[in-house]
Order: sequence, then C-alpha cells, then structure tokens
Amino acid sequence: MKTIRKIGLLLVLFLGIILVTACGNGSKQSNSDNSNKQKTTKEFKGQTMNVVATSDAYQPLFDKFSKQTGAKVKVLSMSSGEVLARMKADKSKPMADLWFGGGLDAFEQAKTDHQLEKYQSNSIDKINSKYRDKDGYWLSKGLTVGGFVVNKKVLKEKNLPVPKTWNDLTKSKYKGEIIMSDPSVSGTMYAIVKAIIDEKGEKAGWEYWNKVNKNISFYGKRGKDPQEKTASGEFGIGVIPVDKMAFDAAKQNDLTVVYPKDGIPWVPEGVAVFKNAPGKKVAEAFIDFMLEPKNMKELTKLDGKDTDQVIMPGVKGLDLGLNKKDLMKENLSSFGSDRTAVLNKWSDMVGDK
Amino acid sequence: MSKKHLGSFIIDKFVYLIITLSILIFILYPYLSIFVQSLSETGQKITDFWSENFVLTQHSVVVALITMVLSLIFSVAVTINFAFLSKQKQKILRLFLLVTMVSPPFVTSLAYITLFGRRGMITHDLLQLTINPYGPQGIILMQTLSFTSLNALVLIGLLKKIEPSMINSARSLGAKTDAIIKDVIFPLLRPGIVVVTLISFIRSLADFQTSTIIGGSFKMLASEGYFAVISFGDIHRAALINLTLAIPALIGFFLYIKYDRDISSVHHGTASGELGIPLSKKGFIFPITAVLSLLFYLALLLQYGSIIINAITVKNMGHFQLSWQPLIASKIYLNDTIFRTIIYSIIAGLLGSLISLFIIYYGQVRNSKWMRLIEMIGTFPYILPGTFFGLGYLYAFSKPPLAITGTTAIVVINVIFKQVAFATKAAKASVNQVHPIYFQTVHDLGGTVLNEWNDVFFPMTKQGFALTFLNGFISTMTTIGSIIFLVHPGQNLMTLVMFDVVQRGEYQVAAVIACMIILICVIMAGIVFLLIHLSERSKKHVSLSPRLN
Repeated sequence: MKTIRKIGLLLVLFLGIILVTACGNGSKQSNSDNSNKQKTTKEFKGQTMNVVATSDAYQPLFDKFSKQTGAKVKVLSMSSGEVLARMKADKSKPMADLWFGGGLDAFEQAKTDHQLEKYQSNSIDKINSKYRDKDGYWLSKGLTVGGFVVNKKVLKEKNLPVPKTWNDLTKSKYKGEIIMSDPSVSGTMYAIVKAIIDEKGEKAGWEYWNKVNKNISFYGKRGKDPQEKTASGEFGIGVIPVDKMAFDAAKQNDLTVVYPKDGIPWVPEGVAVFKNAPGKKVAEAFIDFMLEPKNMKELTKLDGKDTDQVIMPGVKGLDLGLNKKDLMKENLSSFGSDRTAVLNKWSDMVGDK
Repeated sequence: MSKKHLGSFIIDKFVYLIITLSILIFILYPYLSIFVQSLSETGQKITDFWSENFVLTQHSVVVALITMVLSLIFSVAVTINFAFLSKQKQKILRLFLLVTMVSPPFVTSLAYITLFGRRGMITHDLLQLTINPYGPQGIILMQTLSFTSLNALVLIGLLKKIEPSMINSARSLGAKTDAIIKDVIFPLLRPGIVVVTLISFIRSLADFQTSTIIGGSFKMLASEGYFAVISFGDIHRAALINLTLAIPALIGFFLYIKYDRDISSVHHGTASGELGIPLSKKGFIFPITAVLSLLFYLALLLQYGSIIINAITVKNMGHFQLSWQPLIASKIYLNDTIFRTIIYSIIAGLLGSLISLFIIYYGQVRNSKWMRLIEMIGTFPYILPGTFFGLGYLYAFSKPPLAITGTTAIVVINVIFKQVAFATKAAKASVNQVHPIYFQTVHDLGGTVLNEWNDVFFPMTKQGFALTFLNGFISTMTTIGSIIFLVHPGQNLMTLVMFDVVQRGEYQVAAVIACMIILICVIMAGIVFLLIHLSERSKKHVSLSPRLN
C-alpha cells in the first residue's frame, strides 16, 4: 500500500496548502480600532493591504509603508478598465482594499456605482481641491499629461518639420506618420481626446479629431504603442503621456519629446478605498502616509512626474520642463459621465482603424 | 464481503465520486454558467452580435485556417527531417523545441518589425522599400512560428513510436527513402497530424495577444473579447465573442472525437523511446524538409536570441550595451511571484495528472461509460479559448453556493482543471501500455481494487505520470488566458507579470521573465527525465514481477 499511502499523503498536503493559502487571504485582514489618531504611526502588524495599482513601480513606497506600520502589502498591476470590469462581474467582494492610480473616468464610474468608500484624511486640505472629489470618494496622486514623441530621423527622411502644436497634427503632410493609442484602451489618450474637445468646444473639437484621424492609419491597442513604434521608426510622431519614462526612452532611442505649444492635456490619477474593503483601515492609513510631503516627494520620483504635475503645493518633483500655465482648461465634472458617449462617437468616426 | 474488500470498495466509490464531481463542478459548471449568461442576460442578443460582427469572425477563422496549414507544413517538415538526423542531434533539437514552447509573441513581433517593418533592416535599409508589416500577414507569421514547436514535438513523439523493424524491413525489400517516408512514416503520423491541426486552429482562434501587437487595424474576435473586458468593462460582449469562438472550435472538436481512438497515443511533446536508424539522406523529401526546418530553426534562433539580448542589454542612443539593469529592474515585478508560480505549477502538474490517470483508469480499465463522458467534458478547456474558461469561473464562483473568487484556491483549481484535457490524452497512452492481464491477475489472486492500484496501476504508469506531470507543469508555467481575470493581489503568476510588462512596453523586463520561465521549465524537465532514467536503471537490476500483497 506504499504507493497509495504516498498519494494520499500528497493529496492531504496539497489540500492543506490550498486551504491555508485560500483562507489566509481573508483572515489576515482584520479591522483595527476606529480612533482618529494619526494612523501612520499605528501598528498594523499581521494585517494585509491588497492593492490594485497601474504599475508595479510603486513597490518601494509600499515597502516603506510596510516597514513603518507592519502591514503586509500585496500589489497587483491592473488597468483601471479591468478593475471596473472585474467589479462588475464579481459584486460579491471588493477587488482589493486600495485602488492606486488610473484615469479619473474609472474612479468617477466606480463612485457612481457605489463601489468606493468615502475617506477624508486629516491631511486632505494639503491637496488642491481641484484635484480631489468634493464628496471625498477619491483623491489624486498626480497628473498625467499628454504630448508627442518625435523620431527626427524619420521626419528628416520625408523632409517634414517637427510638429510643435496639436494643430500641426491635422496637416495632411503628416499623413501616415502619426500613431496614437485607441482611447478606449489608454486612459491618457481618452484624456487627450476629451481635453481637446473641452478646450475647442464640442463642434470644433470633433472637427479637429476628424482631421487628425485622416492622418492616422491605425490606433495602437496598447498604451505604449506610440512610444515604441516611433522609437522603431515605424512612425515619425507618437502621441504619448509625457513623464520621465518618455524622456528616458527618448534618450535611449534618439527621439525628441515635445510639449505642444497650444496647450497640454492632463488627467488626475486617482487613489481610493474600495467599499467594504476588509483592510479598509490599513488603506486609509496608507492615504495618510502618502499625503506626508516626504512620501509625496518619493511618489513623484517613482511616477517620474514633473513638479508641475504634482498636486500638492510645495512638494517638488522632477524638472522635465513642463509649465503649469500651459495646462489646458478642462471640465473634470463630465470626465466620467461623458466617457461612453465620447468613445462611441470616436468609434463611429474611426471605423475599423 | 470481507473487511478488506469493504474498505477498498468504499475508497473506490469515494474516488469515483470525487473525480466525477470535481469535473462537473470545475469544468462543466463554469461553461454552463457563461453559456447561460451570454444567452440570457439583457444586452445585445447573440444573433445581432453575429450580424454586426461577421467580419470579425471571418478574420479570425481565415487567419486560423492559414496559420493551421502553415504551421502544419513546418511541423511535418521538422518531424520528417528528424528521421534523417543522428540521435545526438535529435536530442539537442528536441530540447530546443521544448524550450521554444514558451513563446512570448512580443519578441517575435519585435524582431519581425525590426527586420520587415516600415523602416525594417531588410525591407527599408536593404531593399529600399516601405512596406506595412501590420495586418493578417504579420499575425499569421507570428502564430505559425509560435505554434510549430509544440506541433513538431507532438509529431516527433509519434515518430519515436514507429518500430525500427518496420523501416528496416521496408528497406530490405528495396524501398527508397522517399517511399519509406511516404508509405511507412507518413501514415503513422496521420493521427498526430489531425491533433496538431486542431491544436493550431484552436490556439489561433483563442490568441488574443499577437494581433494587439502586430495586427494594426486588422481586428479579430479573441482580442476584441479581451478589450471588451479591459476597456469597456463589457463582460456580456466578451461572453458573446467567446461563444462565437466556441462554434468553430466545437466543429473542430467533433472531428477530434472521430479520431480520438487513434490519437490516444499522442504525447504532449515529451515522449520517450528511441527512433530506429536515421534514414539515408537521399531522394527529394530530404532537401525540402531540410530547407523548411532550417528556415524554422533560424527564425526560432532569431527570436530567442533577441530575448536573451533584450534580457542582458540596455539601449543608449539607439545602441545596445551589456547591462544587469533588466535583471535588477525585474526584481520589483517578481517579488514572491517566482516561488508562487513554481508551487502552483507543481500542484497543477501533480493533481492534474492524478485526476487524469483516475479518469482513464475508470474509463479504460474499468470500462465505465460514464467516466468516458467525464473524460469528454474534461476536454473542453482544451478546445475552448482560455479566457472563456476564466470568465466562466468568474461567473460560476462569484456567487453561492461556491463563492470562491478572490481566493488563491480558485486560481489553483483553474490551472489544475485546465490540465486535465491534455493530461488525459497522455495518461491514456501510458495506461494503454499496461496489459489487462495484470489487472485480471490481481483479481484472480483475491486482490482488491486498492491492490490493483498499488501493485499494477500506479507502478506501471509511473513513467506516464512523470511525463504528464511535466506537461502540466510547463503548461501552467506558460498559461495566461484562463487566469487573467481571476487573480487578485498576492496571486500573480510569472506569465501574467510578463504579459503586463509587455503591455507597458518594458521589453527588457519581459525578456528576463521569459528567460526565467524557460530556465525553470528546462530544470524541471531535467529533473523528471533524470528520475525516469534512474528508475529505468534500477528496473534493470530488479525483477520486473509486480509485488502482490
């Protein structure tokens, strides 16, 4: 009976592992007391904060939080669209405790769907009221801004000048040389589309995009497509989110980053606590922790944000040459509610591209 | 009934019940849930979806058919070419093919754009052309390259089963090399060809990654299904798309059932055994297969060469420089993911193999018709797109009675049951090698079912179990579609991290992860083959007669 005994043992062992790891998820997350003291100094030893974030790059900040509070932080990198979809499919439990990063439209949607928990940190006043929800459901950790990356070698070959403004992109001489991502896939592209419509007005805004569309042969299916395909010389101009990563990639591939002279579109990146999150208290403590100026500064570094993209006055980010007065006038209140309508109209306009 | 027999009877029934229930709950129920959901939930009706998106379906099916044919041509060429090679060369190439089963499409696509893009080294710099590489041609090429390795391994597994004496006798009767290939080897490969044709067709239909990188404005069902979820949160549309994909896949499945009897002997690329003497390099077939194989191996070398280059260099002003940077940068992405991925893959490999062996035991040895039906249900994850299986899990297990979404268990269970399909095929091959007389002998000597398992079934299928385990392990190490919508924080696996960094354009990190996955799979393969080798060696010294209690 040796073999059977071995197999039996194996089964028991695995079932054990599965049970322990499965149960481990929920049991570690117990709530702490409700006192209103400064939470960042509180111990969360033995507790876990689950985070969905737009990137794994924030790990050092989470590690610092773990060190300070004893809480274990588990991060999963996920796009904001996917977070929304998963919550829609599985209403039984929150996706995680903390939602870190992602376009404002998704946060607004989640707020409307009652999937966020209200939280007003004691330090919330440090953030410009423009960059946080008036009802306290989300706040932003920074701004993402849009611009171009240009492959001068490619443009030179075709005798084309480097575009300086958004309006330049409508010129027919750039036909076939521009790439941007599908705004339904990339939150930044949606922000750019929406910002230009806001800035120019509904009619002129759509006329603008119609002209740009004629110069574009297809829309990238990934946020990074414009950056990459411009770097490989497939296209001369890529519409991109401008941050340190863009400047680094430009240096690596001999490209030029351009802040358009006729205005810079921007979108706040949200942070929120999920409704009924088991680790709610830890997530709230993390928001307090994040709002400490020294941590905000570290976050800016991890995000590769320019000082002007920082939403907390007084905190200095990197200097990437952005000028705050160039930021476009935008209507954030319709950012989430207009998304479906804008994307539907967009999809009708571009057809199969 | 004696106490011994009663205990054995209870255990026997218990195992039978557990196997049946687990397949029904973890395979049939999720599929039923998503079928019901996509047909009943308010929203677009499937018929409207079809009439509006006929072009998408057409794109997917046409690409899948062409990929299927091309990949078949290359895999048959590589397989036939194997018959001309020495044992040593065969060993090296098999390892190479095994390594390339982990084929992240991003690398191939990048290399393709670098060489054949609008400013590609060959098209633009050498030939002064500006060709658009985006579209179906790119997708078909990338998929063909990705699928051929597995196909060739399956066929080589069959090639090794050909009795050397058959080739020798054909030769002694004066048959020429081309005739031997045509009349002896090719007919014996035929059942395998049916399988690899089906595998390629289904994999192409379900592939949602390649077209996002190289498709340009050419849209396909699988990637649209993925985007429906991630950009619009529209799971209903994703379900409709997957249901549409399921139709051509099911048609393929019926063909598969027709040939099932023959392909039960097909391995998932890790067959053992030796092929007869290499054929002499004469005739027309050898040069043709040699050229096609060479082209294929070169393309693979280019692909994996660029993975390694990406993993150990950084770019500066357009030039590559050797650096540890990618490895260091990948650290924050991986954390405890490597350990977790290995553990999950081991669990999936072991339990998947065990379940499959029991299914085949009851279906074949005990001749249970019900278990054969269970085996057929177990095949579903193999013929339907992985994302469909994952979405099914999301629907089925997010509500009572089995609300397990968000737990580690659902991810582990998913990868276990995803293996059952291929594992049952491999298990069947190894169970078929056990002569029924052994089971009969146990009964004649008054043995119980437990004696049967302990003294005949498990000892004699040990090698099959090891190979099935390895298949399950590799397949879990490389799986994406079925778990992408299931993982929560703290449950991520290496392939998902790789998929994620590819989406962000962090190719260097992706290349490091790809190298790690390959290394882990190769090490595991080494361990398994070493164990098989050791157990075979000890067999030579010990009497072969089974021990009877």
